[in-house]
Amino acid sequence: MNQRSGRFWQYPWCYKESVAVVSGIIVVGFILQITTMAFDFSLLKYPVNLILGFLVLLFLFIFSFWRNRDFYKWFSGISFSVTLITALLLLALIMGLTPQTDSHLPSNASLHSILGFDRMVSSWPLVLIYFLTILSLGALIVRRIIAFQIKDYTFYLIHIGLWLILFASGLGAADRERYLMRVYEGEVEWRGLTDKNEIKELPVAIELNDFYMEVYPPSLAIIDRNTGIIQPENKPEFFAIDAQRPEGKLAGWTILFEKYIHQAVRNSDSSYHEVHMPGSSPAAKITAINSITAAEYSGWVCSGNVAQLYMTLNLDTNYCIAMMRPEPKRFVSDIHVYRKDKEVEHALLEVNKPYRAGAWIIYQHSYDEVAGNLSNYSEMELVYDPWLPFVYTGIFLLAAGALCLIWAGNKRKEARI
Amino acid sequence: MTWDSFLWFAVPAMICWLSAGILIYLTSVKISYLLMLTGILIFTVFIAGLWIGQGRPPLRTLGETRLWYSFFLTTVGFITCKHWKYKWLLSYSAMIAIIFTCINIFKPEIHSKNLMPALQSYWFVPHVTVYILSYALFAAATIASFIQLSKLGKGNSNAQLYRLIDNLVYTGFGFLMLGMLIGCIWAKEAWGHYWSWDPKETWAFITAAAYLIYIHKRRQEKDFLITLWILPFAFLLLLITWIGVNYLPSAQGSVHVY
Repeated sequence: MNQRSGRFWQYPWCYKESVAVVSGIIVVGFILQITTMAFDFSLLKYPVNLILGFLVLLFLFIFSFWRNRDFYKWFSGISFSVTLITALLLLALIMGLTPQTDSHLPSNASLHSILGFDRMVSSWPLVLIYFLTILSLGALIVRRIIAFQIKDYTFYLIHIGLWLILFASGLGAADRERYLMRVYEGEVEWRGLTDKNEIKELPVAIELNDFYMEVYPPSLAIIDRNTGIIQPENKPEFFAIDAQRPEGKLAGWTILFEKYIHQAVRNSDSSYHEVHMPGSSPAAKITAINSITAAEYSGWVCSGNVAQLYMTLNLDTNYCIAMMRPEPKRFVSDIHVYRKDKEVEHALLEVNKPYRAGAWIIYQHSYDEVAGNLSNYSEMELVYDPWLPFVYTGIFLLAAGALCLIWAGNKRKEARI
Repeated sequence: MTWDSFLWFAVPAMICWLSAGILIYLTSVKISYLLMLTGILIFTVFIAGLWIGQGRPPLRTLGETRLWYSFFLTTVGFITCKHWKYKWLLSYSAMIAIIFTCINIFKPEIHSKNLMPALQSYWFVPHVTVYILSYALFAAATIASFIQLSKLGKGNSNAQLYRLIDNLVYTGFGFLMLGMLIGCIWAKEAWGHYWSWDPKETWAFITAAAYLIYIHKRRQEKDFLITLWILPFAFLLLLITWIGVNYLPSAQGSVHVY
């Protein structure tokens, strides 16, 4: 670092100038925020983002001819980048501390809302600082690429990776589309619902052949027969059914498992037998023994569903043992995907296992939670993001850089103190 | 194995770590290393047993996160101590691991056993594991920064210690980035977007930004006092990301609340 002359606005610039510039930009951001109420990301929709991206690259190219100037060194230097990161940190801190809304308009007349603190992602100060970071980081990368040194590979991986992520995700935000699509079994659907509940016809159609789900063995609990409140009231206890643990304790009772049927259907004598069909429900034959009075009760419990009633085991006039609703283990939509001029595609959609159809990605989103396995529809989420490959390239580069960082640590031999 | 048998492993492990942390100053370093490793081994057996017993990686509840935290803190503390010959690091990491183990004993947050579908992903274990590695390295960096700060106050900062701090921060930051990127890829697969400014994500960003400031500020090799103070501050932000987010009003409805 060159020695500072200490005079404001005299090169080389350092923190004073950086803070002044960044604060100035933030103030401009707040003024824009108050006057326009929000940064409208839809302004960046294709082809505007492509043009803007090209202009950024053009700027970086032309700017690079001044790379030996003090201004360039400052703009791509540590003082400015530290100030920019600090500004991003402070803006993110506001975002992290106050509840955020999806709305683009002020939710109320408070200063907090007028300044955009409750919708930071679309606020002008954040957008401007983000954009400035892309330019500053870009200028740094250009300077270092011109003076290329292979030994700085970690630097290149991390900085280029990060720049790509910031550039592609920022500019691509406006092109990203997201829809929810509810498809009933045996039907074909091509209309999607936007975040604003508007219906739009999509270039992708989905046919739902089948929806099914698997559940975990449920838990048992003692509930108040009148109120349904799980006991003990202030600290509810659950006992998870586990084939390896046929005996357990539950709120002062010892529970013994005699039989557990995962897919059970009720017999006419209120016992259960195994049937593999959508309407079946988990059921268990249990014995409960009171730890103090040694009172003993035996019988079937069943969580029930829309197709068959639940069954509880009464302990006395006030309490009974009930089987909780089972929690989902996996749910699957068997679908066909239709796209214009493309072959029909078959896919099994699951949570964490989306299906990629070109720039569209189809996700298992939800189902009729009351009906569970008997749900006659499946809700899917369709996301269109043409900028994704660039972001993934950035993620890949940054991850490679992170591995280098872990491997080599701080490579500088001599640290000055 | 279930949480019921935790005490049988936690107490011997803690005794090992505690004695390792003390004996390193009194007797030979080798005995203390051996004790430290024994403690880690006992803890490993419990984690493995719990993993098998529950039929899923024990990485879902805060209590289980603490389990890994103790494990990695002692492991990384041991390796780093062996590499850099800093005895205090072993004692400190042992102590913090014991504190987290005690929290698990006295306040077990053991929730339902089942893993919801969104958490059933190959990215789950690496996502949490690299974060815990990163947190452990940052915790060590914070402790080292306090020692350097006190040395700086006496006017004799230690170059070797600076190298250690920077090394811990660099490697910790590498793990932190991996954690975030794995999270991004996982989020894209599970929720449809790689970054949605979920409160936990926002705070992860804040934490990363703070460490980024330290890394860049260090390269200027001036304002040493301010630069060093960034580390405790950054660790405070990290703690909010890790534990505090669940209690923030802004985090109601976060996908990361468990």
